Amino acid sequence: MRKSGMALALVASAATSGCVQSRQYADVQFTPPQGDYRLLVMRPDVTVNSLTTGGVAQPRADWSERARANIVEALRAEQGARGGKILILAHRNELPNVSADEVADVERLNFAVAQSIALHKYSGAALPTKRGKGLEYTLGEDAVSLGRRTGYDYALFIHAEDNIASTGRTALQVLGVAGCFIGFCAPSGGSNQFAYASLVDLRTGEVVWFNVLQTGSQLPGVSFGDIRTPQGSAQMVERLLGRMRPGREVREAMERH
Amino acid sequence: MCARCDISRRSLLLGGGALAASLTTGIAQARIRPADMAPLIGPHFQPTDTDEQGLWQLMERAEEEISGSNLLIKDPQLVGYLQDIIGHVGGPAAKDMRIYLAHVPDFNAMMFPSGFAVVFSGLLLRMRNEAQLAGVVAHESGHFLRRHMIRSWRDMKRKSDIFAIGAMAAGVAGAGAGVYMGDYIQLAQLATILSLFRYSREMEAEADAMGARLIAEAGYQPMEMANVWQQLIGEENASAAYRRKHRRRPDLFDTHPSEDARFADLRISAAEVTVPGRAYETGRDRYIRTIGPIREMLLEDQVKLNDPGASQYLLNTLALDGWNGLLRYYEGEVWRLRNRAGDDARAAQSYAVAVAYPDAPADAWRWHGLSLIKEGRSGEGKAALGKYLQLKPTAPDAPFIRQMIG
Amino acid sequence: MSMRKPLWALTAAAFLLGGCTSVGEGTDLGVYQLVRTKPTRVGNGSVEVIPPRAWNKQRRFFFFDSIRWVEDWTLNGPYLDGITFVSGLPSGEYLIRQRKTEERQVPKFRSDMTAPEVTAMLESAFRVRGGAVEFRTLALQPRQFMGYPGFQFDFEHLDGDELWRKGRAVGAVIDGRLYLMLYDAARSHYYANALPDFEAMANNAHIRA
Repeated sequence: MRKSGMALALVASAATSGCVQSRQYADVQFTPPQGDYRLLVMRPDVTVNSLTTGGVAQPRADWSERARANIVEALRAEQGARGGKILILAHRNELPNVSADEVADVERLNFAVAQSIALHKYSGAALPTKRGKGLEYTLGEDAVSLGRRTGYDYALFIHAEDNIASTGRTALQVLGVAGCFIGFCAPSGGSNQFAYASLVDLRTGEVVWFNVLQTGSQLPGVSFGDIRTPQGSAQMVERLLGRMRPGREVREAMERH
Repeated sequence: MCARCDISRRSLLLGGGALAASLTTGIAQARIRPADMAPLIGPHFQPTDTDEQGLWQLMERAEEEISGSNLLIKDPQLVGYLQDIIGHVGGPAAKDMRIYLAHVPDFNAMMFPSGFAVVFSGLLLRMRNEAQLAGVVAHESGHFLRRHMIRSWRDMKRKSDIFAIGAMAAGVAGAGAGVYMGDYIQLAQLATILSLFRYSREMEAEADAMGARLIAEAGYQPMEMANVWQQLIGEENASAAYRRKHRRRPDLFDTHPSEDARFADLRISAAEVTVPGRAYETGRDRYIRTIGPIREMLLEDQVKLNDPGASQYLLNTLALDGWNGLLRYYEGEVWRLRNRAGDDARAAQSYAVAVAYPDAPADAWRWHGLSLIKEGRSGEGKAALGKYLQLKPTAPDAPFIRQMIG
Repeated sequence: MSMRKPLWALTAAAFLLGGCTSVGEGTDLGVYQLVRTKPTRVGNGSVEVIPPRAWNKQRRFFFFDSIRWVEDWTLNGPYLDGITFVSGLPSGEYLIRQRKTEERQVPKFRSDMTAPEVTAMLESAFRVRGGAVEFRTLALQPRQFMGYPGFQFDFEHLDGDELWRKGRAVGAVIDGRLYLMLYDAARSHYYANALPDFEAMANNAHIRA
């Protein structure tokens, strides 16, 4: 619910064309976690909607539960392969030494920071002072304190949603595409997915890596993986997290050697 | 879904389903009799159909999110009080329902499909007694007891397919109006989110009838429920008149029965459920005692929004039970913030009256003093400011006020 | 004043225009301009400040926020921090653009307003436009601003996005016009981060001769 704003806005853009795209930003000194690290995954926010013919995104709790379980499994496998130890929170009150309110405060600040990253890095309202500097955002002392008291090195925030078109919807899409030519594109597209992930270094509080993934199809009947299946979830996690690139300065240093 | 699913352009634009509903039910709606309103569910209801189970699962997450929000007022005494009221007027589900108090200065209350309700703090400001509050809560319980959520959800899904093309156009307009954009006041927007599956006129009328019956059975004065609607109509008219607008006329698009018709129906229903010889209470003393500690905050939240028509109407309504220092002080604040020619003199007069009451808040002395100084009555003004500092020695603006006193 | 909300209109525009290609820094709609660390005129140009580091100035668009005496800067974006400059708002004018028929309105400025009245006007702006559900005055004290007797107003507020923000305004009414600098940022981390910049500018601001 909290995250629907950015999600819907970004989906609206994906829906106007057929594409799979992701774009990541990293702190210039970012090195993807490898080996012995501890990762805290903050309440993964996974929703699967069924788009009815009328365009109503009907949330399907059964699908969402299945997809959430699949995403969690895929996350475990993906991070396990990197060597990390991982704890996936389902509720705010599951951490020893840290109250639900403190977890909530970190989530709230992260929400505003993620909104800012979306606005200034992804949707054209670029901030000149941050141009060419990679990712330069932080959750500050709240995140550092979370890390100190839990012993975790990183926190990962993840939001994923999948809007699956019904057959009736697919037929109506043809009209939606036509609409584009006469001046407007209804955010009425076919099946589409939207996901973002944000990695916070709990030793410094900084958001070290951020990725947005959109897949969308205006073409009737075309879809891109289905996170209700283990394969579809694994594919989404791979697209979102699997190709984590180091920051610019780290890449340049690697090239010099 | 909500006591006052806001009559905004925005929710109209979203209302593909709403349009369908009002077309089929028609305008001339026969009044629904409280006697015909039997609860459709018993205690400990659990959904058995797949779609309803899905809706409940979803609402579980929504409830987790809402109950963890820092926009809630968590004062155990207030929340316990609300919980007690729903426990009295909740019918067979009284013990199953949960209630949350959100710090939002609007008149609203809403019932979620899985049996938890959210009441906005602005509602508490507007109720004159416990019977009125119980009336709104009973109306919301009525939605739950009559299974309105799942009925309208199914109804809308069926109808929205027919209206798909209209809804698509509405979607675009909606995006322009900010619906898809992640609104800033997210909690306040819950009403709008919920209006996606809003009720038909018939369901609202059912909830009214059911509510009248529930509060009468609990021993509350049933006529108070009608008074709530009278107050709401009055407030909207007053607010619109100040900004030189006309209150939107009820039309085909209204899912709620027009407020005037609703008021009339509620009066008849109230008479019907009244058992001759039985004593009904308004619970005014208990109400005032319970919300007393936050009344200043509630007035502050409303008056600082600078909606002079609505605020003035509210103050006058509350003053039907007697003027006091608090109400006179906020009357002054309404004038001061409105800030038209002559308003400073009106405000000054209200502050002067306010400080004559023993319960005048410290801030009344502050503004009384500042007004006097502006009028050129410096000596008296400084004395009033001195009184302010005496009443509130740790006031955050004490350094500035001290400088003014010199 | 940037009250966060209007920006969504821009976001919407970006999304609707951009389609698939909108993802990334490639598209810059030119919403923000760089402010360098040298004397810079703000608002209608009658006030000059020297920022201690580079900031981003929000460009004014004709369809909203085009109050010529008001200008918004930010470091990390308006959700997280921002400074609003008010450069001599005349009596009878508003800090923000609003329709006359709007039920809830930010009060207009009047030249005879005292500091408590100006701060109440700011509070209403946060409640009416910013969606603040709680607003606390932390302090109001005398402070010189651009060589005139003025005030410093410290406050914090809880907004509809569940985030506490904290702010400071320094201002004065000079020859019947309102001169003000208002800093507002997420209370956690961001407020402390740019407060020294704000203080430096509040101290080096001056009216251009």
